[in-house]
Amino acid sequence: MSTLALDRAFREAGSRIIAALAARYRDLDIAEEAFAEACARASDRWPQEGTPRDPAAWLYRVADRSALDGLRRRRTRQRLAPDPPLPEATAEDAMVDDAKLIPDERLRLIFVCCHPAVAADARAALTLRLVCGLSTAEIARAFLVSEPTLAQRLVRAKRKIADAGVPFEIPRPDAWPERLDSVLSTVEVAYAKAHEDAAGAGPHAAYASEMLGLTRVLAELLPQEPEALALAALVRYAEARRPARLDEYGAMVPLSEQDPALWRRPLIDEAEAYLKRAAALDPAGPRSLQAAIHSAWCARRSLAEPAPWPVVLKLYDALLTLRDDPVTRLNRAVAVAEMAGAEVALGEIEGLDADALAGFPPYHAVRADLLRRSGRLDDARAAYAAVLALDPPPAERLWLEQRMSSLGG
Amino acid sequence: MQYALLIYEDEGIYGPDKNGPAMQQIVAKHMAFSRELGASRLGGSGLKGTAAATTIRTRNGAKTVHDGPFAETKEQLGGFYLIEAPDLDAAIATAKKVPVLQDGAIEIRPLLGPG
Repeated sequence: MSTLALDRAFREAGSRIIAALAARYRDLDIAEEAFAEACARASDRWPQEGTPRDPAAWLYRVADRSALDGLRRRRTRQRLAPDPPLPEATAEDAMVDDAKLIPDERLRLIFVCCHPAVAADARAALTLRLVCGLSTAEIARAFLVSEPTLAQRLVRAKRKIADAGVPFEIPRPDAWPERLDSVLSTVEVAYAKAHEDAAGAGPHAAYASEMLGLTRVLAELLPQEPEALALAALVRYAEARRPARLDEYGAMVPLSEQDPALWRRPLIDEAEAYLKRAAALDPAGPRSLQAAIHSAWCARRSLAEPAPWPVVLKLYDALLTLRDDPVTRLNRAVAVAEMAGAEVALGEIEGLDADALAGFPPYHAVRADLLRRSGRLDDARAAYAAVLALDPPPAERLWLEQRMSSLGG
Repeated sequence: MQYALLIYEDEGIYGPDKNGPAMQQIVAKHMAFSRELGASRLGGSGLKGTAAATTIRTRNGAKTVHDGPFAETKEQLGGFYLIEAPDLDAAIATAKKVPVLQDGAIEIRPLLGPG
């Protein structure tokens, strides 16, 4: 087996095995170390002895034994009385197939990683590490922090989980809405990191496909939660458009100018199926409305068809009642400009807290465009300069510079 | 596990000596809450105001006595519960029921030790 094939087997089996061990031993470190140990032994033995019939089951058994040994060593070190022995694997365990041998505890693991008691900046990283199997180096690159910084964040988060007594349980009904929202927001943050770089060649894009997998798992595990289904749809709509996000010079292409022929239809079809299931469950949450906006855009088959601004504006109006934040207001203003004119849209934007948004690139970008269309060219130029000063990614910079130079002067 | 639930509120709302009508109101709520906790309440008490606080600071081994609380803050530690709870989620559920009169915060701290 090649190193590449080994890595793939490890990554595929990883989250299920780590989740099962974490649920069994109530300790993320033990689970992670045991899985790493099993992978190391597999790297030694599989190339010589051949790959086992069921690699995941092999890894799970070896990891489980390693976890048990580790636990015993730790207890001896701390001179604590050992716990009563855990149930040993029986002969029947060896007979059942891998799916039954490794209990699916991934949902519990996701709820642990995304617990609101874990620092917000560590939740997404921990989820990507443990549930998606990304390396510390990969996550550090995506989050634009150094590897030691990210590693330290993970260590602190795991210590907090152990010390504070975060349970390896599915949340109780009274805590469910808050905890589910924490999970979905964490995945949103993780995906935003993957998506913000329009070029798709940046360090973020590497795990965009992992996000497709993670949202699929969440939708599978929570088939009755419309917002989980909507999130799976959202990520797919956005990924489907990736091939159309750059022009031939590497500049960003805004959604309304993207050629729908370049969008990945199979991914859009998957998104539509998720959104349909979410819509059947009601009531529409913020993510369902966002997905519906994407759906309206993705219904477009060519640039010759009119852009769906009327329905987009209606959906943003509805979204504003659920999620009144600057991002929603800015996006809505773009639709308002199309329907009622740039000056009306500008009026709405001027009502936002300019000081609080000074460091937020989309604020200046939207404002610059509206000023340009209102004929206030000097103000537009200043707004373009403001967003360029915030050091946007190369594709956006190129697009903004084109717009700015089209002003003349 | 054992947790301390530390209650932070603006003590000003309870009057200068913590004996105003607001105090009677909150004490009644705390008594009802304590009854509800039953055996999972291991201990706890309200605290007199920070005007009654004395702080001993240690600097370079020298101990000095000061008037006032450890830190001047907008909200002050006004009381605490010690509870037994199976895990953090249970402690959070309990902490959400700790009565506070207006704005405030409950800090959940696991106790050190095998407990």
